[in-house]
Amino acid sequence: MIDHFLAKLRVRDEISPEEEEAIRGMLDPPVEIPADKTIIPAGVELNVSTLLLDGLLCRYKDLRDGSRQISELHVPGDFADLHSFTLKYLDHSVMALTKCRIATVRHDRLKAVIEAHPHLGRMFWFMTNLDAAIHREWVLSLGRRSAISRVAHLFCETRVRLEISGLADRRGYEFGITQADLAECLGLTPVHVNRVLKELREDGLVAFRGGRVHIHDLAGLERIAEFYPAYLYLDKRPR
Amino acid sequence: MLKEADEKIGTQPNRSIGVGELWAGGLRKVGLATQHLQSDQHLPSDGCQAPRSLAPRPCNRLVARLEAVGNLSRDDREAIHAICRDAQAVPVHRSIIRAGEKPEHVHIVVEGWTARAETLADGTRQISAFLIPGDFCNLHAAILGEVDHDLIALTDAKVAFVPHEVMDDLARERPALRDALRWVNSVDEAVLRAWLSSIGRRDAYGRIAHLFCELHARMTLIGLVEHGCFDLPITQEMLADAQGLTPVHVNRTLQALRGDGLIELAERRLTILDMVGLQNAAGFDPTYLYLGMRARR
Amino acid sequence: MTLYRFNLYNGIGFVADEEGRELPDVAAARDEALKAVRGIIADEVLQGRLDLNGRIEVMDGEGPPVITLAFAEAVEIA
Repeated sequence: MIDHFLAKLRVRDEISPEEEEAIRGMLDPPVEIPADKTIIPAGVELNVSTLLLDGLLCRYKDLRDGSRQISELHVPGDFADLHSFTLKYLDHSVMALTKCRIATVRHDRLKAVIEAHPHLGRMFWFMTNLDAAIHREWVLSLGRRSAISRVAHLFCETRVRLEISGLADRRGYEFGITQADLAECLGLTPVHVNRVLKELREDGLVAFRGGRVHIHDLAGLERIAEFYPAYLYLDKRPR
Repeated sequence: MLKEADEKIGTQPNRSIGVGELWAGGLRKVGLATQHLQSDQHLPSDGCQAPRSLAPRPCNRLVARLEAVGNLSRDDREAIHAICRDAQAVPVHRSIIRAGEKPEHVHIVVEGWTARAETLADGTRQISAFLIPGDFCNLHAAILGEVDHDLIALTDAKVAFVPHEVMDDLARERPALRDALRWVNSVDEAVLRAWLSSIGRRDAYGRIAHLFCELHARMTLIGLVEHGCFDLPITQEMLADAQGLTPVHVNRTLQALRGDGLIELAERRLTILDMVGLQNAAGFDPTYLYLGMRARR
Repeated sequence: MTLYRFNLYNGIGFVADEEGRELPDVAAARDEALKAVRGIIADEVLQGRLDLNGRIEVMDGEGPPVITLAFAEAVEIA
């Protein structure tokens, strides 16, 4: 159940068997979530954090004019809201983009684990800062990248994040996201996303079809995206 | 107040006393005042309680910010002042850290403004955060190792360089402080999400309006707003880089905001003339700043 | 480096550039002007308006503009 989460942690540091046990012990039993369900509304007081086991989640904010901005995608092994442990409520909502399996952790259990295993506490803090680094990269994307570069970058970023759990390789991955969702990630309209996808396909870089990203030229895709994975902090060292 | 100040002479002989303590007390009240803001209540336009002429202690702004969210003891506050004591002068435009470096220090803005930024191959820059007095520039570097962004001085600034070990000791020995630090780190992340929404979904007018509303709230929290007016010591180019625009577009947008009677901007001082109007133009909801909330645990 | 000022004339009137930007040469200044015009047009188009009647005058001092860029010149109209 926690394989993807452990994989995500172990990319960055060693996790001991005791720490593994502690993580297992703190989780509630898994729950199935249907696609398009908002599992955590913004502004609601929380006493659990949610770990994604399977599927695709996103963080989003609805603006007053009704438009939506997705601020991050979550892949299996991600906590959607470790920061809710620190803050009482979230400034964003969390929604399932596909059918998902999640497991919650009560904050009192999380606190106990952190107190018993300070290293795990640091790893959890690491994860929230990783989210911030991804937000920064998205700010750069939406602020300064062209539409085609934004789409390419998101495909590259998601590939690396899924590859950690063995859910992607150089040839592609399952990605159950709609063009409308992509548009809400990237500050574009769905029609513009569609246009860009056509361009990427015709340039022989990537095809997005049937919920699957088919990568034809990873190096080319990373070049047009100007993708450098340093911000994903993939190096292993004592933390 | 003065008695506390007298007691300090024994512990910190180089510290100026008396007026400094009064200043810290005044700022604590600012923190309490902002705690009662609700998300649909417009911000007061006469937000500054502390007169600017009083000589500040090194880290008043950071103390004010942390006190607004945590129950800090006097020792906690003194510990904060101590780490800011040897703030270094950094000239405008200096890169304090570059992306990919592994800084040995956590940086705190004591005076002036800094920014986190990234630059693309074609030279275009995106600023991902404005850091004002009391802000941590790279608290995350303590746990991440490298930084994925540049850190630059947007004005002549004073920055405290605090070694990681000192921050680690503080966090370990002072739980209330540790919780407050985690808190500001998380709010920092929430601000990023708000910027993302702005850049992704608002037009130029809305982006600048939103940014100004946010800066007003953040400056109010640390006592730097007087009658709806505060220093905006940055160039239009910096504003542009922060909001994914060009400087010309920013200039035009500022003119439009002025023309609509929402702001006055002269000599690097921004005055918000119509707070409700500006918030409406921005669709501003201050929930993401977590004003008036207390750190848990 | 030279300080170039980008004065804008368009739908909302004249916007003087009080700040200017340091750029290496006129070619760089033209690039800046192009980007600026395109960003403005794009922003307006998203709101349903296309106004190609503006221009940017780039100054490097008190004399006549070193570049005059009409909005219509900044885009390829197909």
